[in-house]
Amino acid sequence: MAKDDLSTPNEQKEYSRRDMLKMTALAGGGIALGASGFGTVLELLGNKNGEANAANQSTVPFFGNHQAGITTAHQNYGYLAAFDIDPSVHDAAKIMALFITWTRLAATLTQGKREVNSDNKELPPNDTNEARDLGAANLTITFGLGHSFFTKDGKDRFGVAAHMPKQLTAMPHIAHETLDPAISNGDLCVQVCADVQQVAFHALRNLIKEALGTANIRWMESGFLNAPKGQTPRNLFGFKDGTANVADSEDQKNVIWTGSDEPQWMRGGTYLGYRKIKMIIETWDRDSYSDQENVFGRKKNSGAPFGQRHEKDPVIMNKMPADAHVRLAHGTGKQIYRRAYSYTNGIQPQTGNLDAGLLFISYQNKPQDSFIPMLRLLGKSDALNEYTDHIATGLFAIPAGIKKNEYFAQHLFE
Amino acid sequence: MTNQKKIMFILLAALMLLPISACSSAQKSDGEKSAQTTADPVKQGTKKMQQINKNLQAALEKNDTAAIKKYGKQLNTQWLSYENGVRDRFPLQYAKIERYQQPIYAQSNLENPNAAQVKENSRALTDQLSDLLAAKETKAKPSKQMDQAVDDYLKYADEQIDQLVKTTKPFVQAVKDGDVEKAKKRYTLPRIYYERAEPIAESFGDLDPAIDARINDVETESDWSGFHEIERALWEKNSLKGQEKYADKLMADVLSLQKKAKSFKLTPKAMVAGAMELLEEAATSKITGEEERYSHTDLVDLQANVDGSKAVYQAAIPALIQGHKDLANQIDKQFQAFDKQMLKYKKSDTEYEDYTKLNKEQIREISNELSKLSKLMAQTAKIF
Ligand code: HEM
Repeated sequence: MAKDDLSTPNEQKEYSRRDMLKMTALAGGGIALGASGFGTVLELLGNKNGEANAANQSTVPFFGNHQAGITTAHQNYGYLAAFDIDPSVHDAAKIMALFITWTRLAATLTQGKREVNSDNKELPPNDTNEARDLGAANLTITFGLGHSFFTKDGKDRFGVAAHMPKQLTAMPHIAHETLDPAISNGDLCVQVCADVQQVAFHALRNLIKEALGTANIRWMESGFLNAPKGQTPRNLFGFKDGTANVADSEDQKNVIWTGSDEPQWMRGGTYLGYRKIKMIIETWDRDSYSDQENVFGRKKNSGAPFGQRHEKDPVIMNKMPADAHVRLAHGTGKQIYRRAYSYTNGIQPQTGNLDAGLLFISYQNKPQDSFIPMLRLLGKSDALNEYTDHIATGLFAIPAGIKKNEYFAQHLFE
Repeated sequence: MTNQKKIMFILLAALMLLPISACSSAQKSDGEKSAQTTADPVKQGTKKMQQINKNLQAALEKNDTAAIKKYGKQLNTQWLSYENGVRDRFPLQYAKIERYQQPIYAQSNLENPNAAQVKENSRALTDQLSDLLAAKETKAKPSKQMDQAVDDYLKYADEQIDQLVKTTKPFVQAVKDGDVEKAKKRYTLPRIYYERAEPIAESFGDLDPAIDARINDVETESDWSGFHEIERALWEKNSLKGQEKYADKLMADVLSLQKKAKSFKLTPKAMVAGAMELLEEAATSKITGEEERYSHTDLVDLQANVDGSKAVYQAAIPALIQGHKDLANQIDKQFQAFDKQMLKYKKSDTEYEDYTKLNKEQIREISNELSKLSKLMAQTAKIF
């Protein structure tokens, strides 16, 4: 371990490449080598006396039945990024190696640890260091696979097309969208969320760095969403967003998690539906208060549905205008689990208007029956369309949680 | 291979890339071995190279363009088929052969190869191939290897700077003659030599800015001189009025660079750092079209930067293959991949596609290959 690393109190939070390798080997050869080792190394080097003395030391477990970052309490900052497999890669083995590396890195970073640098100071550092003093801040890293990962131009790219998740398709054309292909879709996706933006960025940056050459970053979006604990956050139109999300774990099983109709490796997973939705902020801000409420069919301050008093009261459809966003979405009779972030990106130089909107992210087990029909209906009829423009899209299969000693998408390949 | 086995294979390969595996570098030390054993693949491969090279020379005599191209490409295919064996056992000879074989290959991909250049390289290749046949496998001490690497690299850099002087002269002359068309034609060649050896120029404080500053690098326009000042006159103003003094200054600066470079000392670490600087240059100012913003010849510079960093890699091969063979393999492949993609845009020795003609995807593609190269090259510091 390099000297200046030793002198810091964070020393026990670091791994050497040798430890990483051990873990990698164990993760890769999980079946062959048995269950010993991986957890042990983690514990040994773990931040044993790292009792949460500051809020940002909190961690979310990385390994589990479902991937973290889906029903995890909504962190304040989120990044969503897509990657494309490098054109030189034709062999699943290279991709497996990347997924092993990513798993290792994600398991490390989400627990508030990092890779140690080489003793050789002529080499670039392994870790980029900006999150060194910050703790994990509830960092979660969620991995997914796009339709183009399995097949592209009608070709089975890596010999796994036969195991394609049942509900994974290329996104169909939807009314009222102006998509930019460069910031849409992709072979892989990674969602990174944390309560401290710098922690989230650090994680994604290091994932990008490790992937280069096997998978290259295609696009990256970042957003924020803040609310007092236990309250529903508001989006940039000033309305509570996420009210109708199911909170009960039995309901979540019905809405979010995939079951026996999927190939074995995909069970216990979900699908991430993504839309980057530009908000025409200035037009919205000049709209009357009552019209704004009519657009959603809910009260702006309380979030209560029309005809009701409280946010969580049931929706009464016929109290809302026919084209109200909530009425249309609710009227589909389907449910999705929304986990959006707001974004801002300076101004639009041609007009001087703000460039801002919503990174709409939803999780659901049957996107073809819920997310996509909903989009179709909203695209045609939503009162909200006057104030929004869908500019990017994506649909990704999110496999089940990763177990200790295993790596992301292992059971797709093995 | 089953997937499981593949994984283990990758892990082993990954292991080889790690610094901790340096201890395993005490590979088979079966003493000195000459390549002169009958079934030796290096010997056999080299003999084939000699034969193809002979054919190439015959084609050159006859001025048979099609045959020149054919044998130039054949040489490359033959070289690729056994070069790994050469690199592992005869690293010094390996780099020298690459130096002459690769320009031949580059020429053979052009519609009209430059016969004089091919001839020159082919002749040098003849000598190198005989050297390789006679060479003994040796293992120099690591420190000695690095000194040798620096010497080899400095020789390369000197050659580039000599060529820079040689090609700047006619360019400057055309500028002073006020001949816009001729000057435009002669602009790119000295740029190539300069960009290949830029780390050397950068080590002499004011010389690099005097020769190579872009307009945004200087505080006021009156401080501006060098190639890009003349570039603007040529392509933006289409007039060489008032350029004589810049032409004279450029020549003087380039000569002064040549003089200083002759006594230039370089440490191995600085040499490797220089290779990285070249790639970073390429990845920042060349790939964005900022470097040659009037002539749009950025791809020429970009390839020259990569060539310059490749020279460092080649010089460092003997040190690199001791314990980092897999890395050397990967770098080698990536240089090939990079050069191959650049061939799509290459029109002649001094001419690549106009930067502004490339679409976003093409630029991103080049940038991506460049990033992959930089990522690998950054790992060459493992030799220290
Ligand atoms: C900028 C774009 C959008 C904004 C500002 C927005 C805002 C809202 C708001 C304020 C609510 C009411 C509170 C709640 O239940 O969370 C809501 C509900 C909902 N929205 Fe959106 N939304 C947007 C886009 C979408 C899209 C693209 C979809 C689906 C593809 C969608 C699906 C839903 C659903 C399913 C509900 C719950 C309806 C129910 O009560 O059952 N929204 N949205």
